[in-house]
Parts: sequence; C-alpha cells; structure tokens
Amino acid sequence: MYSKFVLALSTALLTLVGAAQAQEAVEIGVVVELSGAGAPAGTNWRDGIRIAVDEINAEGGILGKPVKVTEYDTQTDPQISRALVQKAIDGRAYAIWGTIYSGSTLVNMLVAQQNGVPQFVGSEAPTIVEKGNPFVFRTSSGAQKGVPALVPYFKDTLKAKKVGVAWVNNEFGRGGRNVFIAEMKKAGIEVVTDVPSEQAQTDYASDVSKLKQSGADAVFVYMNQEESARFLIEAKKQGLSMPLVGEVTLTEAKVIELAGPAAEGAIAHVGITATADQVEGIAAFREKFVKTFKRVPTHDAIKGYIGAWTTKYVTELVGKFDGEAFSEKMHGLCLPATKYPRILLDTCWDNRGEVSRPSFMVQVRNGSPVVIGTVPAN
Amino acid sequence: MNAWLRRVLILVLIALAIGAPLGQGNYIIYVMTSWLIFSIAAMGLNLTLGYAGQISLAQASFMAIGAYTTALLTLSGWHWLAAMPLGVLACFVVGFGLGYPALRVKGHFLAFVTLAFNTLVFLVLRNEEWLTGGTYGLVGIPRPTFGLFSTMRSLPFYYFTLMVTIIAALAMWGIVRSPWGRAFRALRENPIRAESLGVDTRRITLLAFAIGSMYGGLAGALIASLVQFIEPGSFGLAHSLRILLMVAVGGAGYFFGPFLGAGVVILLPEILRFTEGYYLIIYAVLVIVMLIFVPSGMIGIWGRIRDRFIARPVARADLQQGAQLK
Repeated sequence: MYSKFVLALSTALLTLVGAAQAQEAVEIGVVVELSGAGAPAGTNWRDGIRIAVDEINAEGGILGKPVKVTEYDTQTDPQISRALVQKAIDGRAYAIWGTIYSGSTLVNMLVAQQNGVPQFVGSEAPTIVEKGNPFVFRTSSGAQKGVPALVPYFKDTLKAKKVGVAWVNNEFGRGGRNVFIAEMKKAGIEVVTDVPSEQAQTDYASDVSKLKQSGADAVFVYMNQEESARFLIEAKKQGLSMPLVGEVTLTEAKVIELAGPAAEGAIAHVGITATADQVEGIAAFREKFVKTFKRVPTHDAIKGYIGAWTTKYVTELVGKFDGEAFSEKMHGLCLPATKYPRILLDTCWDNRGEVSRPSFMVQVRNGSPVVIGTVPAN
Repeated sequence: MNAWLRRVLILVLIALAIGAPLGQGNYIIYVMTSWLIFSIAAMGLNLTLGYAGQISLAQASFMAIGAYTTALLTLSGWHWLAAMPLGVLACFVVGFGLGYPALRVKGHFLAFVTLAFNTLVFLVLRNEEWLTGGTYGLVGIPRPTFGLFSTMRSLPFYYFTLMVTIIAALAMWGIVRSPWGRAFRALRENPIRAESLGVDTRRITLLAFAIGSMYGGLAGALIASLVQFIEPGSFGLAHSLRILLMVAVGGAGYFFGPFLGAGVVILLPEILRFTEGYYLIIYAVLVIVMLIFVPSGMIGIWGRIRDRFIARPVARADLQQGAQLK
C-alpha cells in the first residue's frame, strides 16, 4: 500500500514538474517564407533551425529552459509577415527568427522593434541595418559588404575591363546592383549593360541576348534562387561564354538542383556555404542535415542554424531572458568559433546589427559547388 | 427580411464588431482591422462589378494610389484627415479615366484592360524611385491623432477603422438605394433597355468605376496607416485578384457580400493555420467547392436554404428569361 502511495505521489510530482517545465519553455517565433516565391529559402532556414533546436534542447535548452519553436508561414507577403511577427509576440515569443525576403523584413522588423524583441533575419538588403533598429541582427552580411568582396575577383582574377549586370528588380536585387555599380566605378571597370528582370520571370531570352551582344568580359548575376536557375538555363542555351559571377545565390544547392548542368562553371562569393567542409562545424552540420532531410543544405539553412545558436549563446552571456539586455550585448560582440563551436566561423556584429565573418569564393564543378578561395572578414 | 429585423441584425453586428477585439491580442486585432479595410476595398469593387456589372481587376492599384498619396502627404506633415480626401479624389479622377475603355470593351476584354492598368501602376510605383521610394517603399507612415485620441496602439486604430467603415458602408447604402443605384443595376441587367428608358449609360459606367475606385483609395489610405509601410509588391495583380475573390465569395451584387467575402478570404487561412503545410491547399479546395455549389457566394447560401424550406411565390420562368434577353 505504502509503495503504491509513494509511486502515485512521485508520478504526480513528476507530472507537475513536467508541466511546470513545459510552461517555462522559451517561446521562439520562426516567421519565414514557407510558401510563395520565397519557399526554397524559407524551408531551408526552417530546417536549419529545426536541427539547431534539437541540439540546443539536447544540451539543456537556454539557461536550463527548453526551447519551443512555433513556425509561421508568411506566404512571402510583407503584410502577412508583419501580422505574424505580431502574432508570435502576442504568443510571448522571446525572439523572432526570420524573415529572409528583405521586403518582408523591412515591414515586420518595426513590430519587433516596438516590442523590444530581438530578431535574427536572413535578409541582405543594405537598408535593413540603416534604419537605426537596435533589435535586428543579420545572420549573413548585407549586400553592401558582400558585393565589395567580389571586386578583387573581377579586377585581379578575371582582369575584366567591361562588365554586365543582370539583376532581379526587387529590394534585394536593387540593393546589390546599386552597390555593385558603385564599386565598379571605384575600381575603374566599365558597366556596359544593366539588365533588370522581374521577380518570378520565366523567360530570360531577351535578357541573355542583350548581355551576349554587350561585349562584357564578365556578368554579375544578382537574383533570387528560382530566377538564377532560369537565367543560367537560358545562358547555357544561348551559349553565353563570359564568366557568370554572383553573390551568394548563384551557386546555391537549390539553384544547382533546378538549373542542372546549366549551373556548371558559375562562380559566386558566399558568406557561408555548406561546401566549405574544411571547416569542422560546417561539415558536421552538413552531415546531420543530409541525414535528416535527404538533401544538401543551402546557405539559408546555415544562417537559420547560426541565428538559433547565437540566441542561446548570447542569452547565456546575458544570464537572463531580457530583450533589451540581449540587444545591448549583441552590439559590438564577437563570438570566436573556438569557444562557441556552433557559430561555425568567427563572427562579429557591429553596433547596427551588421555581421562580419570570413567568406568564400565558390564555383560549380561537376554539379556541386567547390570552394576556390577564401575572403577575409571585412 | 423585414426592415425591423434587418435593423436589429445590423445593430447586433455592429455591437459584435465593437466587442470582438476586447481582450484579444494585438495579432487578432490586426487581422480584424485588415478585414475591415479589405471590406471597404471589396465594397468598392462590388459596386463596379456586382451592381454595375463592369469587371475590374485594378482595385489593388486604386488602393495603391490612395495609400501612396496619403503616405506621401502624412509623411510630409499633413493630417490623415486632410491627406485621405486627396487620395480618394485622385482615385475618383483616375477611376473616371479608366471607365472610358469600359465604354468600348466588355467582359473579358475589359478585364484585360484593367489588368494592364494594374500592372502599369505597379511599374510606375516601382520605377519612379524619387517619389515612391521604388522597391524599398515608404516606411514610418504616421497614424492619425485626434486631440487626445491617438490611434498609435492597435485597439484605438481598430475602432477608428470601424468608424470609417461604418461611414463608408452608410454612404454605399445611400448610393445603391438612390436612382444611381437603380441605374447601376439597370446597366448590369440590360444596357440597351436601360438606355431606352433614359439612363445615361455612358455617365453611369464612368461613375461606377469612379465611385468603386474611391472606395479602393479609402482602403489604401487606411492600410498605409495600419501597416505603416507600403511598397509596390503589396498592390500587385495578385491583390486585385484577392479582392475580386472577396466579392465573388461573399456574393457579388449583395450589400453585405463584401464583408462576408473579406472575412472568409482573410480569416479562413488564419483559422486553418493549425493544419500547417496543408492550410493553403484546404483553403483553395474550400473556395473551389463553394464557387461550384453556391456560385452566388456566401450570401447565396441563405437564399438557397430559404428557397428549399420556405415556400414563396415562383416567378414565371419565361419572364425570368425575358429579363435577360438583350
């Protein structure tokens, strides 16, 4: 009888403790593009986060509390993303992870800012960190840092005198294109043709033919994933012979998968890539990702993963769940990979939330991206 | 439905609209505010399409004109109450202009003309960066303040929007019951007969577009203040189609159709979110099923139930046919 009583009491106590712990879980809102044009990027971001959260919870959560993630699909629509960031914050989210499309981030980061909630974003438009929002943090450097890193490649490696630009006319594409043109001017390289295209455009025949006739030595291609793939297929069809160089997206796993052999030879500067498997942490992440999701992670997956781990590391540095203190700590913070291994590469954030870390030059060879050079952090 | 019952029902609905957001989180209030704003836009399209029978796929572009005009003026220090009428007036003028093609083309062709107009507005907003901010849009649009009543927080803004919606709905009620409203319906049913009875179909067609567009502009002026950020992508063709869906789902040509339609289009995906990856599929299937079985929209469901269970005098089938002869 006594033993039964003890068993019942201990079960009840354990249930109570379990319930208390479940109540105390740290809520995080993953607000990201899971459908619509941004789905390839968004699903990778989410899957990278899923791996990170499993790891974080296996290691005891954040400050001893388990992490509970709620996923919200923005449908790649800025207005919906704003509503969902609000919904996540209403649900007592301690931090927001997302969004990736800059147009969405520009809208929804206002909500996170008003509520003092830290937000890790995958967006790369320069304007995001120029709005004086102390709660927004990038997970990869913006176009204004990434694109200048390409200049030595055009100037010294390709020895280009004339270049063309093919870009997607949205806030992401325009941001990168403006920085590129300014950098080329500084480097004394002439931009002979400037070809904008639409988001979700399917026919690139006239764009490619314009570039072909322009006499450019190399072309800078700055588009989202699906557009990049369609562009590469058309370039291959028309036999565009000059090197095609991009920033981040052009050599991504998703683009290679969609473009197939047409992606062969494409070059890009990437902030972070799953191909850089000489870096121990990246190789381990890649292996785990492939095992779980049966596909190669894109840079968005790694960005999501880093965003999640940074939230854990920095919260534990602060020692409490406090959005204000968190963002204060983040500004000017450097996390070395030796001490914080899941950050993968030495990473610093400046006082605007901009990130800097070493980056890579990558080329597609035999159907997979290969690292052909390293660019130091700038 | 008799007038007394209708009045009570409307008062109950307004009381519900006042009470519903109390105690809710900001997110629910935001979604409800969006519902009111899209109801206004759909009300405008309902006038053009449902009452006057002119297909328009450009309602989002009128929201854009209203939103950008209001945003640019409020950002330069104007009060919303001064900026909004200018936005609405701009929509009236542009809508009047867009009505001209409708005098020449009908049906699908008119739909294409308005579709092209929507794309044109989108391109102007995106490419004229000096004015509209291009793809980056306009950020930090202020919300209006009326003395001590500030709409910066979500609940006051909801009540402000509710008030504007009620005023807009009353104005619409007046329009559809006026001689103009009857002329709009005459234009939809049989333009030749309408003309033979002395209705100036040319003027009525232009007015149907212009007034419908004004409601789009008013919705735009509100959405700019709600989101506090506007960019061309939020006013693309997909959004015009969404407003069209609201009118079709709610019931085109019924006064309360747009409210119901906007409710379904905005709230249903939110309700279905718990199904995670499947919610958009379920939503699409529900809309298809509904349009197949109740083509007259949600309002039509009530009509079907009434016809089935309550006996009513039946109109002669040949007379019904006669009304549609052209």
